[in-house]
Amino acid sequence: MRRQIAVLLCFLTGFFVVVAFFIEQDPIPDINEKLDELLVIVFAFALVLGVVSFLQHHSKKIRRRDKGWTSSVISISSLVIMALLGIFESSIRGTGIIGDRTTFDWLFNWVFTPLQATMFSLLAFMIASAAFRAFRIKNIEAAVLMVAAIIVMLGRVSIGQVIFPQSLAISEWIMNNPNLAAQRGILIGAALGAASMAIRVILGIERPYM
Amino acid sequence: MKIGGIDKRWVYLLVAIGALIPIIKPLGLPVLSTPAVEALFEKIESLEPGDVIMLSFDYGPSSAPELDPMAESILRHCFQRDISVVVVALFPLGGDNQAKIALNKIVPEFPVVEGEDYVYLGYKDGGLAVLRRMAEDISIVFPQDNRGIPLEDIPLMQRVQNYSDTELSVSLATGIMGEWWAILVNAQFGQPVAVGATAVSAPKYYAYLKAGQMLSLLGGLKGAAEYETLIGEHYPELKERSQIATRGMDVQSIVHLIIIGFIILGNIVYLISRSERTRAGGRLASK
Amino acid sequence: MIRLLLAVSIILAGSPAEAQTDTNHFNTDSTDVLLADSTITATLVLQLSEDSTRILLDWTLGDSINVILERAGNDSVFATIGSFDPTINSFTDSGVSPGDWYMYRLLNGDSMKDLGAGASVEVPFPIEESRFFRTERTNALLLFLFYAATIVGYISIAKRGAQLFIRKIAGLDAVDEAVGRATEMGRKVLYIPGIMSVDNIQTVASMSILGYVAGKTASYGTNLEVPNKDPLVLATAREVVKEAYLKAGRPDYYNDDMVNYVSYDQFAFTAAIQGLMTREKPATNFLIGSFYAESLIMAEAGNASGAIQVAGTAELAQLPFFVVACDYTLIGEELYAASAYLSREPLILGSIKGQDLAKAVLVGLIILGVILSTSGQQWFADFFIQR
Repeated sequence: MRRQIAVLLCFLTGFFVVVAFFIEQDPIPDINEKLDELLVIVFAFALVLGVVSFLQHHSKKIRRRDKGWTSSVISISSLVIMALLGIFESSIRGTGIIGDRTTFDWLFNWVFTPLQATMFSLLAFMIASAAFRAFRIKNIEAAVLMVAAIIVMLGRVSIGQVIFPQSLAISEWIMNNPNLAAQRGILIGAALGAASMAIRVILGIERPYM
Repeated sequence: MKIGGIDKRWVYLLVAIGALIPIIKPLGLPVLSTPAVEALFEKIESLEPGDVIMLSFDYGPSSAPELDPMAESILRHCFQRDISVVVVALFPLGGDNQAKIALNKIVPEFPVVEGEDYVYLGYKDGGLAVLRRMAEDISIVFPQDNRGIPLEDIPLMQRVQNYSDTELSVSLATGIMGEWWAILVNAQFGQPVAVGATAVSAPKYYAYLKAGQMLSLLGGLKGAAEYETLIGEHYPELKERSQIATRGMDVQSIVHLIIIGFIILGNIVYLISRSERTRAGGRLASK
Repeated sequence: MIRLLLAVSIILAGSPAEAQTDTNHFNTDSTDVLLADSTITATLVLQLSEDSTRILLDWTLGDSINVILERAGNDSVFATIGSFDPTINSFTDSGVSPGDWYMYRLLNGDSMKDLGAGASVEVPFPIEESRFFRTERTNALLLFLFYAATIVGYISIAKRGAQLFIRKIAGLDAVDEAVGRATEMGRKVLYIPGIMSVDNIQTVASMSILGYVAGKTASYGTNLEVPNKDPLVLATAREVVKEAYLKAGRPDYYNDDMVNYVSYDQFAFTAAIQGLMTREKPATNFLIGSFYAESLIMAEAGNASGAIQVAGTAELAQLPFFVVACDYTLIGEELYAASAYLSREPLILGSIKGQDLAKAVLVGLIILGVILSTSGQQWFADFFIQR
C-alpha cells in the first residue's frame, strides 16, 4: 500500500507540473509555485537529517580512532562553532572580533572563503597533471585534439596573441563551430534522455526513489 | 604519484612557480577584446544617464577571483555613466557577501547615493521561482532593501517594478544560474541578459549566445580582463583602478605555456618510449 | 479570450473635482471626495498589459510636484498604492484581480488635493481573466505529445514480448567488473551521486544505478560508501541502498553510516571526498550524477589513488574532465539509459527505443529546418522557438 501511494503521488505531482507548464488558469500557477516552495521546506527538514548523519558518522570515527579521526574532531567543532555563532550572533552586530563585524562574518571571510578559493585553485594543478597524461598522440583523432587544445589555450591568453596572433580567431572559430556543434548534439541527446527518464518516473515504470 | 615517469609533484611545483612569478613581476601583456565582451560594453555605453540595469551576484567565494573583477568593472562603468544599478544576490553560499564586498569597494570611488543611484536588495533563495516572480514584481521577492527600507520608500525602486523597467540584466554566475537567466528571463520575458561566467562554465553558454538568448558573455578571467581593457581605453581615469584581471592574465598566460610545454614533453616521452618498444619488439621477433 | 484595452486618456485643465458619478461601477459620493487642486494640469493614461493581468499607468503634470496614486476597487474605497517624486511618471499595477473593476486617481503629494477629475481614470471593463491555455507553448505541447506517444508506443511493443536491441555501453558493462575488483582487493566501493539535489534528473538516474551497484555489493559482501552533499539525496539514497540490500537478502550488511552526509558546500564536499580517496584508497569509484567544478579534483584524486573509475554525467563542461581522468565515462543520454541497460526490463528498454525514434525524427526535422532556413523560409525554424 505504501508503495502504491508513493507511485500515485509521484504520478499526480509529475503530471500536475507538466500541465502547469501549459495552463495559466488560476489556481494552477499558484499551486505550481507552492510546489517549488514545498521543496525548500522539505529541504530544511532534510538538512536536520543530514546534520544528524554527519554527527553520527564523525562521532563513530572519533570513538573508534579510525584513520583520520582528528579531522573528524575538527569537522564537528567547526559545525558546532559556526552554528552557535550564526544563531546567537545574528541579531547582535558590533560584538565581533574585528570592528563592527560579527565573529561569524570574520570566520566566513578569513577562514571559509580562503579555504574555498584554495580548493578551487587546486584545479590549476589538476588540469596540468591531467593534460600531461591525457593529450598523447595515440591516433589521428588524438593528434587533432591535441592541436586544437594547444590553439585554444593560446587563444585564451594574452601571450598567445603575441606568440601566435591568429590563435584568437582560430580558437573562437573552434569554440563557436565544432565545439558548439558537438555540445548541441550531446545536449539534444541528453535532453531527450532526461525527458524519457522523467516520463518513466512519472508513469511509475521506474521507481529510483524506492 | 608518477605520470609518464615524472613525479606529479614536479609538475605541481613548476605550475606554482609559473603562477608566482608574474604576480611578483607583472609582465604587462596586451589583452585584445572579443565581440562577445564588446557587446555588453557597447550596450552600457548606449544607455542614457538615469537608465537602470539589474546586477545579480550568483556566485560565491570560489568563483570570486574570476567574477569579482567583472562585477567591479561593470559597477565602475555604470557609475561613471550615471546608470543606476539594482543589485541582488541569488547564490546561497556567499552571493550576499560578494555583493557587499564589490559595493563596499566601488561605491566610495563615485559620488553615488544609495537608494537613488544604486540599491542593494539583499539575498533571496529560491532560484527559478525568484526569477519568475521578479518578472511580475520585484517587491514580492524583496519587500525591502538590505537596510530594511521598504521598496516603496526608495526613490530608485519607485520607478523599477520589474524587469521591464530595466534596460538590461547582468548575471555573474557560477554553475547553472546563468542558464536560468538566459532560458527564463530572456526567453520568456524578453529581457536582454548578459552573463559573466567562470572559464570552466563559459563553453556551455556559447550555445545561448549564438541563439541570441544572451546579449553578451564574459568568460572567465580573460572576459574580465577584456572588459577592464575596454574601460581603460574609453575612460583613462579609471584605467589604474581596473587592473586586477589584466594582471591575472599574465599569470594565466604563463601557466598555459607551462601546460602546453608539459603536453609537448609528454608526447615526446610517449613517442620515444613507443619507438623503443617497437624496436625491442622488432629485435625479439628477429631472434 | 484575450482582449486588449485601448489607452484611455482624459485631459482636463483645472476643473474642480466632482464626486464621481456612477459610471455603472463606482459610487464615491459618500466615501471619498477630496478638495480639487485646480492650479495644476494633469493627465492620467491607462493601458492594460498584453497578458491582461496588469494595468500600466502613465501621467503627465503641468508642474513639478510629488504625486500620490490611489486605487479603488469594487468597494469604491481609495487606497494609496504609490508615492512618486517629480522624476517619475509611470507605474505598473500588478496587484489587480481578474473580474474586478478599478479606478485610479492622482493627488498632489504636498497638498493632498485631488488633481482633478481628469487625473482620475477608470478601467472601462473588468480585468480579463487569465487565459486557460498558453497558446505560445503550442509547439512545446505538440512535441511533448509526439515524444510521449513514441515512448508509450514502444513500451506497448515491449510489453508484447518483442526483443529490443540496445547497443553496448562499455561503462555499464564495467560495473560488475569494477565491483568484483573491489571485492577481490578487500577495499570499498565509493559511490558519489553528484552534487545536485533530488529534483535534478541526473540525480534520479544516479539513484537507479546506485540501486544496481548496491545490489551487487550486497551480493558480494563488499563495503559500500555513499557520501552525499545534499540532504534530500541522503534520504533517498538511504532508502535505495536499504531496499537493494533487502532484495539481495542481506539486510544485516546494511547500516545507515554507509550512506552519510558530508557538507552542503561544494568545495568542502570535494575536500572531504579527496581526503577519503587519498586515505582509504577505495578500489572502485563511481562518480555518477550532476557535477560542476569539483569533477576534475575528484576524478584526479581517484586516479592518483589507483582506483578504477566509472563516471557518468550530462554536464557538458565536466565531460572532458571525466573522459581524461576516468576509466569509463557515461556521456549524456547513456547515463539515462543505464537503468534500462542494467536491468534489461522490457518496459524501460521500450522507452529507450521510443527515445531513439524521436531522436531520428528530430534529426530529420533539423535537416529540413536547415534546408528551409538556408532558402529563406524562416517560418519552420520559428515554430520551434521557446516562449
